[in-house]
Amino acid sequence: MSQHLLSSLIFTPVAAALLSLFIPNNSKKTFRVLTLVISAIQLILLIFIVHETRGGSFSSFLLTEKVNWFSIDLGTWGILQAEYFVGMDGLSFSTVTLTVLIMLIAGISSWTIDKNVKGYFILLWILNGAIVGTFVALDFLLFYLFFEFMLLPMYFLIGIWGGPKREYASIKFLLYTLFGSILILIVLIALYISVQNPEVQDQIVHTFNILHMTDPSNYIPGSILDPEQGWMIGSHNSRWWAFLLVFVGFAIKLPAVPFHTWLPDAHVEAPTPISVILAALFLKVGAYGLLRIAYPIFPDVATTLSWFVALVGVISILYGALNALASKDLKRLIAYSSVSHMGFVLLGLASVTTEGVSGAVYQMFSHGIISAILFLIAGVLYDRTQDRMIKNYSGLSSKMPVYFTIVLIGFFASLGLPGFSGFIAEIMILLGAFRSFTANGLIHESFAIIATLGLILGAAYYLWTLQRMFFGPFQVKSEIKPDQLVDLDKREYSMFLPLILLVLLFGIFPQILLDYTNPFAQHFTESLLQAARSIQNP
Amino acid sequence: MEENTTFDLLTGLALLTPLASFLLCLIISERYSWLVTITAPVLLLTSASISIYLFFTIPANTSYLIQLAWFHVGQYTFNGNVELNRLSILMMPLIAVISFLVHLYSVGYMAGDNGIRRYFAMLGFFTFSMLGIVLSDNLLMIFVFWELVGFTSYMLIGHWLEKPAAAKAAQKAFLFNRIGDAGFLVGLMIVWANTQNFDLSNLLHLPEIYSWQTAASLCIFCGVIGKSAQLPLFTWLPDAMEGPTPVSALIHAATMVAAGVFLLARVFPLFTPEALHTVAITGILTALVASLCALNQFDIKKILAYSTISQLGLMVTAVGVGSENAAMLQLVTHAFFKACLFLGAGSIIHSLHFAQQQACLSGRQVHEDFDVQDIRNLGGLRKKLPVTFFTFLIAGASLAGIPLFSGFISKDSIITGVWYWSSNTFSWRWLILISVFAVSLITVLYTFRMVWFIFFAKESRSNLSIVEAPWIMRIPLIVLALASVWFLVSLNPFSASGWFTTGVGDLQHSNLVTLLSSGVVLLALLATWFMYATENKFINSITFLQNSFGLDLLYEKVFGQSVIKLAAVAETTDRKWIDGFLHFTAYTQVSFAHVIAWFDTYVIDGSVNAMAWISGVVGSLTRSFQGGKIQLYIFWALVGLIIFLFFVLI
Repeated sequence: MSQHLLSSLIFTPVAAALLSLFIPNNSKKTFRVLTLVISAIQLILLIFIVHETRGGSFSSFLLTEKVNWFSIDLGTWGILQAEYFVGMDGLSFSTVTLTVLIMLIAGISSWTIDKNVKGYFILLWILNGAIVGTFVALDFLLFYLFFEFMLLPMYFLIGIWGGPKREYASIKFLLYTLFGSILILIVLIALYISVQNPEVQDQIVHTFNILHMTDPSNYIPGSILDPEQGWMIGSHNSRWWAFLLVFVGFAIKLPAVPFHTWLPDAHVEAPTPISVILAALFLKVGAYGLLRIAYPIFPDVATTLSWFVALVGVISILYGALNALASKDLKRLIAYSSVSHMGFVLLGLASVTTEGVSGAVYQMFSHGIISAILFLIAGVLYDRTQDRMIKNYSGLSSKMPVYFTIVLIGFFASLGLPGFSGFIAEIMILLGAFRSFTANGLIHESFAIIATLGLILGAAYYLWTLQRMFFGPFQVKSEIKPDQLVDLDKREYSMFLPLILLVLLFGIFPQILLDYTNPFAQHFTESLLQAARSIQNP
Repeated sequence: MEENTTFDLLTGLALLTPLASFLLCLIISERYSWLVTITAPVLLLTSASISIYLFFTIPANTSYLIQLAWFHVGQYTFNGNVELNRLSILMMPLIAVISFLVHLYSVGYMAGDNGIRRYFAMLGFFTFSMLGIVLSDNLLMIFVFWELVGFTSYMLIGHWLEKPAAAKAAQKAFLFNRIGDAGFLVGLMIVWANTQNFDLSNLLHLPEIYSWQTAASLCIFCGVIGKSAQLPLFTWLPDAMEGPTPVSALIHAATMVAAGVFLLARVFPLFTPEALHTVAITGILTALVASLCALNQFDIKKILAYSTISQLGLMVTAVGVGSENAAMLQLVTHAFFKACLFLGAGSIIHSLHFAQQQACLSGRQVHEDFDVQDIRNLGGLRKKLPVTFFTFLIAGASLAGIPLFSGFISKDSIITGVWYWSSNTFSWRWLILISVFAVSLITVLYTFRMVWFIFFAKESRSNLSIVEAPWIMRIPLIVLALASVWFLVSLNPFSASGWFTTGVGDLQHSNLVTLLSSGVVLLALLATWFMYATENKFINSITFLQNSFGLDLLYEKVFGQSVIKLAAVAETTDRKWIDGFLHFTAYTQVSFAHVIAWFDTYVIDGSVNAMAWISGVVGSLTRSFQGGKIQLYIFWALVGLIIFLFFVLI
């Protein structure tokens, strides 16, 4: 049983999706209950995983499953071979846990969907399986497959069940992220023809295995991405271009400025549960890709270009915060704040220090939960009035006091108040980014100092929104009727409560998550710097 | 460092009972909300008693360390150590006792308020966080509690949710504190990069003076500028007066704003001489500016707010000249008399509101709607509010630094410290000395101006029946007033010696200075009498000074507007340029696709059609030979025959 825990986690929702093709179309209740059942099964599997991996070393891969997928003999061109290879380390553990939790919350939030319920949930479950698969795949082709598989359900989910401008938003989202995927595909192919499988001695067998790709000794001499060869394209070598391509590919997903403009539209037009999944999980795939693929496979280029990654990170922090300040739509504001917070992840990653990288992974997890809270907050308002314009509301604290408390908690958690998980993440990232200059010389101290401006701007836009929408005498404008503004019902409360408890738990007892991410961060930092040094000075 | 489990337990209890009060207030349902008026004061009394017990029990100059690890990353550990040292044992009873008195007072002041549970919850959480600041041995933990204190300040200033001005003030307070905290954070980063350790027990005993210490200490000072309302970040404090008066007493006079001064004293060994000069200059400038502003205010609470800023400036100056012990003494005395003044102001406001209500109810004119906080509307209240009058007078005398009161002793020690620091040769330091005397003078002026207007001037509202506040509000006033007289601080009313001051540490004393400062105070009293008790030539205020030297306008117009404009630029960039570029590429692609489509239809398909057309034409041409007309067949057969004969015969 323990051999197939990860696969069960991936294929449970997919199997449910296939089987439910036989369920009649109009039983909404069945689907609502079924989604909770699937999430419950995933939670149980997760508990098994926690139990099985207790005491294991999270700097290496646990619970691995390796099965030969396909192998085609191409004669003189060698053997085309791909494996079904999945495994979990500290990074994957935190992201998979996040996925299971967020999918449960999204499932509860999906109870508001009315039309084409069957199609909606089938797409949701395929999305579920694809996201978990992306986070545990260790074969690049498998990873790419799951990566692409996330796009199509999302396209339909936004395009059919979304808001007024949903067709525009969904096609923009699809084409933009698909463009990024193509860039990754180019690098995938280049890596494939450059890397050989060290387990096969007598002939050259190419491999998609990510772990083999991270070892510089596995490169075929004279291949395009061989570190010793130095193929030049223009003024830089091929590895430099490959890193840049894969960085842009994942940066589009992150989203990093200036590749972020698909995000506000996609978020604003998507229905609430899909916004939650987009913000909490999708964006983490971008960061995950950088941590799993871009940095370990190209350590030499990554360390040379760390200043660039940090620059993109800091620009994202400030630009996202400024745009949030200028937003007139509540959901757009929260979307831009997501851009800003993911900028912190980039900054932590670029520092390549233990606390910086650990902070980046912590921020991925923390932001996942906090952004779920924030988008559910926007959803509460939208479900009642279909109006998210900030200027149309005033004094909501007196009409909806429980909602006001939740909003207070959500906003202060997002702006990094101590006691919530966001503070731990941000302080680790800032400390790591600042120390990076003296520790490994990768990024200058000014990046961290400028990033603190993002904290001030965060306080500014959140408090301003609180002041405009919640304080003062109660008043609503435009088409909104005061009777529509009912306080939270039990279902909504049941979604917020666990999320808030988690945010508090990981803010007060960070060691719980750090026990998983610390080994990963330490291993990542040490091996990256070592590999970079060995490639640059052969 | 020693360890002692009884002290550990007691400290834990003193720290956690206010937190328990917070949690209880959250749990108690609306129906039983009157319960919080009992649970909160009782729990705070427990905390206060334990703190006082610890103050008297723990011997001077010993410290106890309780080691607690919070989390670790890689090989680094972030600790949550608690240290009981001279400073923390001094601050604990101060915070707990004043908080308890404010709790008691609030039971009367906030009676009937809708959000009473939220109010007491936040007061309890504030006390817990403030105790956390003074007990922590770790810079990161201090920062954590520092921010939490800022959060409770936000919630309490904006307590009356329906008041837009309160929300604005709360937001401003949090934002300005955040700006200071960003600086504090940079300071933390510098410390981390150089030592990888936040424990103060290590940081305060560094083997030598490092070059990074100046930058780090100045950045930490940024946090102090924000929290303790120094120049240029002080404008949030006058606005914070929108909150309930007990909140102003506790947070914005006695404790939270004093946290900055406490931090300076706590990390004093980290400061280099250059950093200390900056601190001193900032402090004295703040003290001067604020005292001038206080002299031009008409709202009681605003006068007291500016007075607080000015006193904080004096404390910061004291740290800057190296007399951090004098600063701590002033912090303690200021906490008591300022809280007393604020609670007294609250009592006046409460009594007058009540009188206004009574006038309305009894059917008299509804015009009794004047601003009770404007001192020009008050007058002659000394007969109607005797307890308030006496306590206010005592606390005011202490603020003004009149001999025989606690404020005199503490201010004296500061002036002495500056006196010795400025030495005998003329330098810029003498300017600071002169300014300190000037500030003492102006302090007397604005204090007694306020006292005159409220209690002695001609009565303007004699038709209102004004009565004293309920006893639960009078008791804290009396206690605090008693604490403002000299015997709390030392047995000798003219110099700092005695049981309390030994807790503060060594203080300097000079008889010359004592005489000089007493002389200045006397002079000021005479001046005040002349200006206000005689005809009111000095009623009008200077608007520029009334509005904090125009700083508010500057911040709003220059910084506020420019950030909003920057945000609008960012939004335009996103929409027009980045998205516009994307749309441009999309249009280009679609247009290109149309071109290809045209090419496909007309060129490729066209050539296919052309082929078909040619074969059609050729076909018609060859078909034309089979016309069906016999004459044509004979014609073409004859032509063929002629050609055949031609080739055969030639």
